Amino acid sequence: MPQVNYMSRLRLDERELHSRRAFFELTDEDLARLGSLRALADRHGDSVVDALYELFLGHPESRGFFPDEATVRHVKKMQREYFQGLFAGRCDLAYVEDRLRVGAVHQRIGLSPKWYIGGYSRYLRLLLDRMFADLPPAEAQAAYRSATKLVAFDMSLAIDTYIAADQDAVARHQAAIRELSTPVIRVHHRVLLLPLIGTVDSHRAGQIMETLLLRVSDEQARAVIVDIAGVPTVDTMVANHLLQTTEAVHLLGAEVILTGISAQLARTIVKLGVDISTMHTRARLADGIELALSLVGREITSKSDRTDRADRADRADRADRADRTDKA
Amino acid sequence: MARGTIPILRVADNLLVTVQTELHDAVADAFQEDLLTTIEKTGAAGLLIDVSGLDFVDSYVARVLADTGRMAALMGTATVIVGIRPEVAATLVRMGYKMTGVRTALNVDEGLALLPRR
Repeated sequence: MPQVNYMSRLRLDERELHSRRAFFELTDEDLARLGSLRALADRHGDSVVDALYELFLGHPESRGFFPDEATVRHVKKMQREYFQGLFAGRCDLAYVEDRLRVGAVHQRIGLSPKWYIGGYSRYLRLLLDRMFADLPPAEAQAAYRSATKLVAFDMSLAIDTYIAADQDAVARHQAAIRELSTPVIRVHHRVLLLPLIGTVDSHRAGQIMETLLLRVSDEQARAVIVDIAGVPTVDTMVANHLLQTTEAVHLLGAEVILTGISAQLARTIVKLGVDISTMHTRARLADGIELALSLVGREITSKSDRTDRADRADRADRADRADRTDKA
Repeated sequence: MARGTIPILRVADNLLVTVQTELHDAVADAFQEDLLTTIEKTGAAGLLIDVSGLDFVDSYVARVLADTGRMAALMGTATVIVGIRPEVAATLVRMGYKMTGVRTALNVDEGLALLPRR
């Protein structure tokens, strides 16, 4: 999976940063206040991080993300840096980028938002305790207010990263499904096969036509076998779409062979009164392939036939040589 | 548009036409006239119209092409239209247009193979 640049994915530029900060009422004063508390942060950093990981390691589900001591040491170090970041006294694009990277890492390892938010919740309580323990009440209150703003701001970035990553995943899957829904296979030189599986609605039918036409043109195909054995129901609409596709393929100068027609389907088609006489149709795919090959001037012959012929040729050759030896 | 805008080439017994300019009403009429006159003069066995240069073919142009083919057939000349683009084919079919009475082929080679030899 390619690394996503969430800065551009979330359109996080100076303007968005400005409006987001305004919404969280995160002022320069807040940042300056937090920046002035660096000593407090240094003093309590380790204990805050340790207490946070007690939470994560105390729950079997979240514990799974930290399989060994080395991992715990590593993430604690990262967390320590994150904690210091809260007291860096700045909130610019570089800060945002750093926060998004953290969110993306958590999303990638599958740490769900509930762990994230739960963690932040403990974070704030830990901060609250330490701020009120170290600072005069009025100062502690102001500091805590500033900290909650910045933490909420960080959370918004993390959640946005999660959502964007999820949306990207859904888009990728949709693209994969689209691709899978029209698998055009090259069976032989200038012979294509489109095995249709699943329900065909008008959206998919349109897509099938476009994909097929492009492939016919690209490969200069002479014959296209459309196998509909995997289509559960064929109604008038599906039949008409198939007819349209056949017509269009024909305009390009190629032929469509429809295969996989079951007894029931044959009955349906006739009962619906759909005229598919312009199409080549075959019950089985194998017959369709034979027909397609004949259109490109090839045929499938049995190997034994060929062996027989070869044998005959061989015998004739030997007889001929024997004849010549006799004469000599 | 003057007649003779679209060159008609004679290759052995067949006529070869490559349409590269858009066929507006006037051009289309002149083109049809030109072709039929040439067929009359040469008694060509086959006519091949290459439309691979056309990004856009509306139902009018499609009808002109198919009509020309049918007219040529009346004069004993077989017509093949080659190089219809995928998007053009899709559009024509969606509009419900059927190019009946004219054969189609993927490219000039294939088209020539479809034409009769005398």
